[in-house]
Amino acid sequence: MRIFFATDIHGSEVCWRKFLNAGAFHKADVLIMGGDMTGKAMVPIVRTNGSWEVTLQDQRQVLTTEDEVRAIEKRISDRGYYPIRLTPEEITAWNADSALVDARFKAEMLGNVERWMALGDERLEGKGIRCIVSPANDDMFEIDPIIAAAKNIELGEANTIPLDGFSLVSTGWANTTPWHTYRELEEPELRERIDGLVADVPDPKRAIFNFHAPPYGSNLDNAPKLDADMKYVSGGQALIPVGSKAVRESILAYGPPLSLHGHIHEGKGAVKLGSTLAVNPGSSYEDGVLQAAIVDLDEKKGTVKRYLLING
Amino acid sequence: MASTTAPSLFLRNATGLVKGWSGFDAFAYSFMSVNLVTLGMFYSLAIFAYVPDGSAIASVIVTAIGMTFMVIAYAGLIAVMPRAGGDYVWQTRVLDGIPGAVTGGAFGAIALFLVGTALALGDVVTYGGAIVGALIGATIGLKRGGVGFVLSATGWWFILALWAPIYGFILKIEFVQPLAALLGWKEGVDFFGTADGTFAVSIATIVITSGLVALGMAGYARIQRICLWIGLAALAVMFVLMLITTVDTFKPAYDKAVQGMFGVSNAYQATIDQAASDPASAYTGSELDPLSFGPGTLALVPFMLFFLLYPNWGATLYGEVRGAGDFRKVLRGMMGGLWVTVALAVIFLLLAARAWGWTFFNASNVTYVNYAYAYSTTAPPMPIWGYPPMLASFIIDSNIIQAIIVFAFGAWWLGWTGTLFLSSTRMIFAAAFDRMLPEWAGRVSDTRAVPWAALALIMIPSIFLSWLYAYNSDFYGLTLDATLVIAVTFFGTSIAAMILPFWKKDVYQSSPMARYSIAGLPILAVAGAVSTIFLGWVLFMWLSNSLYGIGVGNTTSIVFLGILYGAAALLYVVARFARRSQGIDLDAIHSEIPAE
Repeated sequence: MRIFFATDIHGSEVCWRKFLNAGAFHKADVLIMGGDMTGKAMVPIVRTNGSWEVTLQDQRQVLTTEDEVRAIEKRISDRGYYPIRLTPEEITAWNADSALVDARFKAEMLGNVERWMALGDERLEGKGIRCIVSPANDDMFEIDPIIAAAKNIELGEANTIPLDGFSLVSTGWANTTPWHTYRELEEPELRERIDGLVADVPDPKRAIFNFHAPPYGSNLDNAPKLDADMKYVSGGQALIPVGSKAVRESILAYGPPLSLHGHIHEGKGAVKLGSTLAVNPGSSYEDGVLQAAIVDLDEKKGTVKRYLLING
Repeated sequence: MASTTAPSLFLRNATGLVKGWSGFDAFAYSFMSVNLVTLGMFYSLAIFAYVPDGSAIASVIVTAIGMTFMVIAYAGLIAVMPRAGGDYVWQTRVLDGIPGAVTGGAFGAIALFLVGTALALGDVVTYGGAIVGALIGATIGLKRGGVGFVLSATGWWFILALWAPIYGFILKIEFVQPLAALLGWKEGVDFFGTADGTFAVSIATIVITSGLVALGMAGYARIQRICLWIGLAALAVMFVLMLITTVDTFKPAYDKAVQGMFGVSNAYQATIDQAASDPASAYTGSELDPLSFGPGTLALVPFMLFFLLYPNWGATLYGEVRGAGDFRKVLRGMMGGLWVTVALAVIFLLLAARAWGWTFFNASNVTYVNYAYAYSTTAPPMPIWGYPPMLASFIIDSNIIQAIIVFAFGAWWLGWTGTLFLSSTRMIFAAAFDRMLPEWAGRVSDTRAVPWAALALIMIPSIFLSWLYAYNSDFYGLTLDATLVIAVTFFGTSIAAMILPFWKKDVYQSSPMARYSIAGLPILAVAGAVSTIFLGWVLFMWLSNSLYGIGVGNTTSIVFLGILYGAAALLYVVARFARRSQGIDLDAIHSEIPAE
């Protein structure tokens, strides 16, 4: 069985489309998306006097035709941001009321996930490729039912999914971060959650962990250290482990053959923890590059046969 | 009243959103990499005696102008492909297909041509070898990742094994020997002057650098910051001492210090006399005046790269570049590191000429270098190197204060040496994750996440090369090879920068660099082209001109380089076949999945 695992695409349209095509391209039997699929930013395209103005990556552009606007919207979407057309009046209202911004963010995120699920249903129809999507800490809870409702996509979170003699156990909950995102737990609670999920697995030695947070101190969890003002310390060169101790302990306690992670975009790598191959493919979603792991599993032996980290 | 101004984007609360990073951090890392003391004073600013009819100051400035284009190219690549992993990824993503084949073919042809020429294998074998090299290089280059792997493995891994004994040698002559002499430990001076002493300091360097890797970058970054301030304070003290010194006051102070430490009288004049009479030095020397732009000035440029080549050393470390503002911040950081160092180097040279005398300064360097590198059997009157901070301190008649000044200057070494193995372990990790190396190469220890396997892969060759460096005098002459191999890697990246706007249009157009052009051409391409020409010329000079001692006239050097590049190419080919036999297709690593 071949698994194609990607994660942390944060709203990148091109990365989602590549993910859906990856099964056929890399001859994978199962696609797994490890979460954090919603975007972090909205880019306003403001209507002014018959033209449109937008600032992307510090470049201000004036757009005069609908084709130009559509082209910049695609560029914004491919980087993982949500392009939104606004009038000057709306800008004034948004600047005065952050609730309007929050409401639009929610609408964009949910609308985008709905559209992605529809695209997934269409592209995966009749392909014989299973696709499992598990939201993570940056994804609001409202996207779970949207994923669950998809025809050709399965919801990973908190579900034990049988896969050719293996059991996929997923959770997008992570240990606490400085950003206080949707799905965060203190380490003891996270361990309890994981133990509860694994309790449903017939044989942990044939489990595949799909835990968004990487194991602590594994080199899959090295992130730039931040100061109190949320600025990089030492220009980003000071890397510290920020992974989960609960995830690490669980891997060592249960010893699954494979453990899939994301969360730390800079933490690309594959390491052995006990008998477990732990993988974090990292993320370069803003470049439109789909970083992923291809893992071949031996159904008879219940082991990992081979793996490859790719930049697709 | 609410603002009517539209923000460039609305952000929500999500992991990883940070407020950027300090431009000073970028400057500090670059400044410590272009290290005025450990690289500049140790080598580049100590060789003027060997090059006649050139201007010392002009050579530093000309080199920095050339490097400015490389800095722009690197800052541009960081903006186009941020956090991508540096040379390896840039070359891999850009130098594929025809550009990869052409680049690989050219490298392969030149490499085997040089080996054939150096070994005097005759025209048929040499030119036949060049054709074979071209075919092998083109085949490797055609595969995505081939050129990137060979150039990065050599520049960020293999050659750093040679840097270990060089770092050790720097520690010896800038720290251990001066302190031993100032503190009256004569046995120490003598021991570290032997091959055994050189080997011992190299091993100490390997242990210290490995320890810093084990400490981790977060811990080392704190040490670096402290070292920066101590080093700058020490440099300020040195400049002040040089400012209040004249040749008339320095000469007796120097003579007294050398007499006290080594029992040698009239050492100042004896040093000048020895340099003038020693046939090994053929001392004619370069001028200091920037206006006397003789042909020797350009000949000095490849020497100056020993310290000015590295303002981009932290290119893989900078934070996420989200827009043109961040691009300018990266650019300012690296430019600052380069040009502040240049300014300090010029001040240093002017002060050295004024305080110690230009003739003496060069004589002090050339007499030591001739002896240490075994070009001459005559020891200099002061049998250790005239380390500039120590020379400056002689004006204070106190061995303790002199020792404190030299000790403080050790911060320049400690704040920079940790990057040696950190850089190579990163490259080894990248290669292991790309399955070019066995899985164990990327493992870390359970308790402190120390990359023991990656460390071993750089430590073991480092120990071997340290042994050769200490006991085989041929290897002293390969010091510039350590710079050449890294310059070749930067040369490959410069080519990537030059063609990226045309070869990878989509990636370029969606980057903040797309707004910068000059005469209708992308600045990234222009900077990459000038950098390619500049580094290409320097490489040609190194390899063809006997002045530098590492080109075709030095068989050891060419064979050493041939082994490095051959080993990297072989490793790439073996890895591909080995992985194929395991059912792993390495082409899949960089194959772009269609979006539609």
